[in-house]
Amino acid sequence: MKKKFLTNIKALLLVIVAALTLEVTALVQYYYSQKGIREEASMRAESQLESTRNKIMDVINQAEAAVRNSVWVAQWCLDYPDSLKRVCQRMVEDNPVVAGSTVALVPGYLKDRPLFAPYVYRDATGSLQLLSLATPEYDYPAQEWFTKPVELGEGCWSEPYVDEGGGEMLMTTFSMPIRDRDGVTAAVLTADLSLDWLTELVGNVRVYPEAFSMMLSRTGRIMVCPVETLVMRKTASEVIAGMDDGEALADLTGALLSGTSGSMSMDYKGATSYVYFAPVERTGWSMSIVIPENEIYGGLKRMGTLVLLLQLIGLAMIVLMLRSFIKGQLRYRALEQRRERIEGELHIANSIQMSMVPLVFPPFPDRHDLDMAATIVPAKEVGGDLYDFFIRGEKLFFCVGDVSGKGVPASLVMAVTRTSFRNMSAHEDSPGRIVTAMNNSLSAMNESSMFVTFFCGVLDLTNGQFRYCNAGHNPPMILTDAISPLPVVPNLPLGIMQGMAYEEQQTVVRYDDALFLYTDGLTEAENAQHEQFGEARMEAALHGRKSAHDHLENIKQQVADFVGDAPQSDDLTILFIHYLPAARRLTLRNDISEIPRLSAFVEATAQAFKLDETLVPGLNLALEEAVANVMQYAYPKGTAGTVDIAAGVSGDALTFTVTDAGQPFDPTTRAEVDINAGVEERPIGGLGIHLVRQIMDSVSYERVGEKNVLTLGKRLRRDVFVKH
Amino acid sequence: MEVKISREDKVVTASLIGRLDTPASQEVAPQMNALADEAGGTIVLDCKELSYISSSGLRLFLMLRKAAAEKGGKVIVRSISGEIRSVFLMTGFLNLFEIEG
Repeated sequence: MKKKFLTNIKALLLVIVAALTLEVTALVQYYYSQKGIREEASMRAESQLESTRNKIMDVINQAEAAVRNSVWVAQWCLDYPDSLKRVCQRMVEDNPVVAGSTVALVPGYLKDRPLFAPYVYRDATGSLQLLSLATPEYDYPAQEWFTKPVELGEGCWSEPYVDEGGGEMLMTTFSMPIRDRDGVTAAVLTADLSLDWLTELVGNVRVYPEAFSMMLSRTGRIMVCPVETLVMRKTASEVIAGMDDGEALADLTGALLSGTSGSMSMDYKGATSYVYFAPVERTGWSMSIVIPENEIYGGLKRMGTLVLLLQLIGLAMIVLMLRSFIKGQLRYRALEQRRERIEGELHIANSIQMSMVPLVFPPFPDRHDLDMAATIVPAKEVGGDLYDFFIRGEKLFFCVGDVSGKGVPASLVMAVTRTSFRNMSAHEDSPGRIVTAMNNSLSAMNESSMFVTFFCGVLDLTNGQFRYCNAGHNPPMILTDAISPLPVVPNLPLGIMQGMAYEEQQTVVRYDDALFLYTDGLTEAENAQHEQFGEARMEAALHGRKSAHDHLENIKQQVADFVGDAPQSDDLTILFIHYLPAARRLTLRNDISEIPRLSAFVEATAQAFKLDETLVPGLNLALEEAVANVMQYAYPKGTAGTVDIAAGVSGDALTFTVTDAGQPFDPTTRAEVDINAGVEERPIGGLGIHLVRQIMDSVSYERVGEKNVLTLGKRLRRDVFVKH
Repeated sequence: MEVKISREDKVVTASLIGRLDTPASQEVAPQMNALADEAGGTIVLDCKELSYISSSGLRLFLMLRKAAAEKGGKVIVRSISGEIRSVFLMTGFLNLFEIEG
């Protein structure tokens, strides 16, 4: 649970880091995009401003030029006032941008005509009409277009105005003072410019769909603006005054009227707009383009939203992937735990399986007639090989088997087989009947069609009678003078055919013969080159006189050396049985006169053990010396007692044990005799133990309880055994 | 075990017949020890028919040899078998006695 929690925390951190990375990337990109877009917007706005202003200036210049070019004609016509209307007419005729024109005389310049102002204009149909502005209602000398140039003494543009007389047109007028030959200002020449085109031109400036243009006059009157009703009717300041939220607009108006060009941002009604503005020279007008921020960044914001969406999708995918990854991890861990559990269980299974076969060697420490060793090396944790043995009624029952297959199923069959062997052999001495009964029992419940190759032997330890039954197993090797396979009838393995009668065979095993039982895991052990250990190598490995344990270790080592790093392919089982003469015993009274009995015992033992007869005098002497020593020293003179002598042969040694219940006496502590000493120096005693040491290979003394135990060992080479 | 003693030209010959094991040695010890009186001369221990000897028997031989050494006589061991020779070898007796045959 904790692991899961930690995994989730790690996953969460991963998602957060991924999200942060994506977000920062997006922000940086957004920032630079915004900057770029802003710059582009500025560029677009400024270029629009520039081109629009150029177009305006074009018209303005045409109108101005038309007036300036007519000044000299008007000057000349001053002397002929009636021809002045011709000047006006020419002006309108020749300049399509000029909608009307007048030459208004300064009042009183002509005595006979105190007010004189002929006015020619183009009417709605395009034809020219003449009109006199010199009416008391109009009072042209009071009009701005007249007063301003007179006052300034130079040409100037009037504030735009709505021409009520000429069809509600937005007009502006360029006026130029005209001086007579004496330099007196005599009249004002004007050209009216219709600003309808201006409204159209400026109104059509569309940098962005939602952007709009505005134009203010010198005094702040609205000339162009999206709200038609405001045009020329209000000044910007009047509009602002009527609004609640006007400060921003006031700032803008101030900037516009300052006659400079530039840009500023404006927060108006919760939205930010960027305003680009530039003055139109000479007219005092100011043109501006207002672009709502949304308009500029609309695309960017859409893109940002899209990016955000994509990021969310990406994150969601990461989360999903992480989830499946974590699930996979958890599943893997679960599998791992399961595997560990199974391994643990297999380990226990192995212990249980191994506990079913005898594992303590030597298995019968009190017996001197058997030297045994056995091993099972499973290829997997558990295996299908088995061996077993026990002694009942001085008979050694033993078996070796190999279940087809490996692993757990084989191990279960192995357990069943071993149990069956024990059951069937509990009261039955005939291996043929044991195997037949086992086969019936195993066949009856063999639903998995597994079979067992099996060898069962019963060795009568009292006389070497050996009965055996083979059920499809490799023939054991019998070690006598030579090493050869035991002749066996193959028979069928166990578990194949119910009711089959297994044939029993019989031979006699002599003292010092050995049986070597194995499973094919030994002969079929493969090295990396897929060569098998084989029977020849096995047979070679069995040569030489060794204890059962040493034989086993030697052959295991040889197989291991042969196999090398190659994996073990099959279970390997070995059972080694060395049949030895039964221990022989003799009890003597504590009397020197018993010595001839000892001598007879040694000779009989040598014969029973089939020892080389050349060994007999030496053994006789050593035993006599040892026993005589005990009789003379362990028991004080006159005390009665007994001396026990036991003789036995182990795998590679002959052992005599001399036991007495006398006072502690350790002959091995006697000093060595100097056999090179001269006659005079030679002590009389000490020769006995000296001879014992000379003849035997090992002499050891032990005080066991109330007894002295002297053990004499003589190593046996196989060639000093008398063979049959 | 039997010890036959014969004397001829100041040479005492003791013929040892049988097994000279521990009980036998005890049995023949008086006869053998008596020979020590004649150790000033030459004593021949004829082992032709001696099949076995243990340390107690060797001890009898050694005592005679010591007496001879004391009295200036000599002890000759005659006709020892291979078995007995090997016992003599193990005990260094080959160096203590004059061995014949």
